[in-house]
Amino acid sequence: MQRRTLLKAGLALGALGSLPLGAQRAFAEEPLVFYGLKSMSGAFASYGKYADMGSRQAIAEHPQLLGRPLQYKVIDTEGNAGKAVRKVQEAIGQDGARFFQGCTLSSSALAVSKEINKAGGVFMTPVGADEITGKDCNLSTFRWSVPTYGAIRETLVPMIRQLPQAKRWYTITPQYVFGDALLDNARKVFAEFGVEHIGNSYHSLQEQEFSGYLTNAIAAKPDVLVLLNFGSQSSNALRQAVNFGIKERMKVLLVWSAGLDQFQELGSDVLEGVYLGAQYWHQVDTPLNKALVAATQKAYGINPNYPLAADYIGTKVMLDAIVQAGTFDGASVARALQGMRFQGPTGEELIRPGDHQVLKDYYLLRGKPQGQLRDEDDLAEVISSGRSFVEVDHTGCALA
Amino acid sequence: MSEKNPLPVGPRTPVLLLLVVASLVLLPLVLPSATLATEILIFALAALACNLLLGYTGLLSFGQGIFFGVGAYGAALLMIHLKWGLFAALLGAAVFGALLALLVGALAIRRKGIYFVMLTLAFSQMAYFLAYTLSGWTGGDNGLLDVPRPNIEVFGHVLVDLADPRHFYAFVALLFLLIFAFALRVIRSPFGSTLLAIRENETRAAAIGYDTRHFKILVFMLSGAITGIAGALYAMLLHFAPLSNIDLMMSENILIMTIIGGTGSLFGSLLGAGAIVVLGDVLSELWPRWLMLLGLILILVVVFMRGGLWGGLAELGKRLRPGRTLSTKTKETL
Repeated sequence: MQRRTLLKAGLALGALGSLPLGAQRAFAEEPLVFYGLKSMSGAFASYGKYADMGSRQAIAEHPQLLGRPLQYKVIDTEGNAGKAVRKVQEAIGQDGARFFQGCTLSSSALAVSKEINKAGGVFMTPVGADEITGKDCNLSTFRWSVPTYGAIRETLVPMIRQLPQAKRWYTITPQYVFGDALLDNARKVFAEFGVEHIGNSYHSLQEQEFSGYLTNAIAAKPDVLVLLNFGSQSSNALRQAVNFGIKERMKVLLVWSAGLDQFQELGSDVLEGVYLGAQYWHQVDTPLNKALVAATQKAYGINPNYPLAADYIGTKVMLDAIVQAGTFDGASVARALQGMRFQGPTGEELIRPGDHQVLKDYYLLRGKPQGQLRDEDDLAEVISSGRSFVEVDHTGCALA
Repeated sequence: MSEKNPLPVGPRTPVLLLLVVASLVLLPLVLPSATLATEILIFALAALACNLLLGYTGLLSFGQGIFFGVGAYGAALLMIHLKWGLFAALLGAAVFGALLALLVGALAIRRKGIYFVMLTLAFSQMAYFLAYTLSGWTGGDNGLLDVPRPNIEVFGHVLVDLADPRHFYAFVALLFLLIFAFALRVIRSPFGSTLLAIRENETRAAAIGYDTRHFKILVFMLSGAITGIAGALYAMLLHFAPLSNIDLMMSENILIMTIIGGTGSLFGSLLGAGAIVVLGDVLSELWPRWLMLLGLILILVVVFMRGGLWGGLAELGKRLRPGRTLSTKTKETL
């Protein structure tokens, strides 16, 4: 009886002794949580859906990271900068979150980047605001998409070179910071190449009816009409321009298109012959893009569009940087990202250390006629591509 | 049958204040974070201010976002450029809110009913585009960044470090309690009774001899000041003043919180803000088009619970105690 009691006691002690080991093991296998900032609801839900698919695809390539399981958590920014900041504060304060990727709105990204920087985390975003790698840059924040300067130069300059007879250019611009940034850069290009900027029509951010602006443009008799708006405004402006028969009178350029999903919505009747600027195009022949297209087809049965590709590569690069740094320390991962070269959707891409801007191609596409489409997504052809970035000294970023 | 809510009836002041204190203690314990609890209190302040107009004076204002935004920008600019401290910045926000309410109120109150509503809408749109255009001050579309959250200091010594979300919650909770008690005192004063008289029948109130326009402007200013403080606290919470603070959607949200919580009930404002903020978080995870569900909830509340959540709870309480009739003491009119 005593022996049995002794055996039981020994067993219990053994079990107790093994507890710290179990606890240690559990700690070692505690997952690393990677946060995706996506506008899953609200006005930008359609963008957030594809962005989330892109991040999930990159996460799926890394079931483990430095020996720890990798977990992905979505923070729904609701297309609302205030909500985005509060939810990021919660994730940092409650869960010790450090690694974030995404954001649809520039205002959300700018505010969120400050919070993540304060917490010593890392944030990669595809938003368009020049300030993110300009005067509001910081050690934690990296941006994948090409800013306004590059978008203008990589669309206007090749068009000016390809259409030497086009001397009179007219612009339609949304009157706010982003539109003005595009317009300023466009004016510089016009001046540099001796092209006449014969007029500009400003419209408000709420505008959806462009007939007045288009009539002004027709009256000015330009050779090229440049649309500097984006999203639903650019779609509406383009549709109405086609209805006015503008394509028969002049060339039309949409500098900042949303890519495939916008083209699918517009259709080839509207897009045929229209010049389109794009951050990403699924038909680009690069090793990573081919792999991305194949993987997206396999996973979702669609071709990748801009939000999917941007958030895929943003997430992938951050995960690769964690592996390269060999640690989950935010500052070390941020250092690994600085100057990092990687295969991106546009070819070999580089993160510029001076402002954390990814140097990548911007594309000039042209809408294809219905009869030439090889498949339903073959809506445009690449006319040219290239890289134009403001020198770090002129970005206003004080990191260097 | 009158479409107006019945005269507000509620518990006695100490009971109501105890209920508020209990809620303030419970909020951070039941919610996942102190930050979420703080956001609820900030919007509860804004809804409370809106309730003073809608619930107690019968003024449906779509201009509350103006005062919220001005409070946020005003306090932020005072702290960033003039290095004002916490209390001075909050006072500044209250003054900005009150002065702007004086301007909006003085013009809008000249008209009644739908014309008053349209004027507040027009002011709201004007304020939004002004904030949008003055991007050098407001940050425009990008919002005003790097808004500080100063500590509570005495002669340079930090008494409370508000960088800690729990400390900031405690500060906002204390401020909420003070403003709630003040608003309660106001509506249970002769001034508050006059507001109710204006709400019930403005012509009769004027016939008795009250300068109803004067009263309406004063309550508009009080509402503007409290909403300004709420805006300032929101900017401090986020370290950021987004343009959305001043847009029409913000005015709508504040109104929805007020209506869902219960017009004519100050505690209802806390319920309404809590319900909308928490529902937003929960529903947005369930369905991308969750705003439709919110619309449905609003319709249900308006159709079936005219007194809002507070009215619903009061009704439930009455049904659970069918034998008990309200004594004159507990039937104290607000």
